[in-house]
Amino acid sequence: MTKVRVLFGFAGAAIAVGLWLALTAPADALQGEYSRIINVHVPTIWVAYLAFFVTSVGSLMWLWRKTPRWDRLASSSVEVGVLFTGISLITGMIWGNAVWGTAWDWGDARLTTTAVMFFVYLGYLALRGAVDDPAVRARRSAILGVVAVIQVPLTYFAVNLFRTLHQTQSLRPDGSTMPDEMITAMLVNVIAFTMLYAALLTARLEVAKAEEAAAVESALAGDAVKPPKLSEVKDV
Amino acid sequence: MSETAVVVSTFVISYGLIGAYAAYLHLRLRKAER
Repeated sequence: MTKVRVLFGFAGAAIAVGLWLALTAPADALQGEYSRIINVHVPTIWVAYLAFFVTSVGSLMWLWRKTPRWDRLASSSVEVGVLFTGISLITGMIWGNAVWGTAWDWGDARLTTTAVMFFVYLGYLALRGAVDDPAVRARRSAILGVVAVIQVPLTYFAVNLFRTLHQTQSLRPDGSTMPDEMITAMLVNVIAFTMLYAALLTARLEVAKAEEAAAVESALAGDAVKPPKLSEVKDV
Repeated sequence: MSETAVVVSTFVISYGLIGAYAAYLHLRLRKAER
């Protein structure tokens, strides 16, 4: 618990710095104040990509080693990744509605691949909820965790493969059209959100460990600790 | 709705969702540890 608090403390401080930079960096000449949304939109999708990559590593390691800790890592990371993908979709729709004049376009490659990725990982969580046997659940979700990660490069490069509505990457090897202050603010927020991901993932892992321990304790105790039914209690 | 209001709302929604998830994890951990 202490480790989680320390991680949240550092992440909170980094988020505060990131927020200050996001609100004080110069606004875009064409998009105006709306351009500040990039400081949440880009970091959240970056964290989602990272989370799903961590899931694929955890899934591969589970298939190799079959130890519960890798299953815990893979499934915990998906939950955090789905949250951040959802936030990135929401912020993208608000931003798109303001500057494109539409919140959604099914003809856009980046929007559609991101939505598909979101629903596939929601399906991963539904799959885990539908299987009771821990070993079967771990194997099935590990296979999905390894296969589904292909969507990360597909989503990232969708803007290059299909030139539709969504702009290409803000930072490219050949430079950026953004001024330095805007790039600095965005990068600080990327670091801050990555720290937040580390804190949330650690907290989620603690929950998974505690729930597994509680389930084992309950199974060992069996009927002995169950309270008697009211009908079984004799009057005294 | 002004540009600033849209931006502030976007930040509030984003941080609010993350905060709500962190609170949910906290409550779930307390329940599991009981």
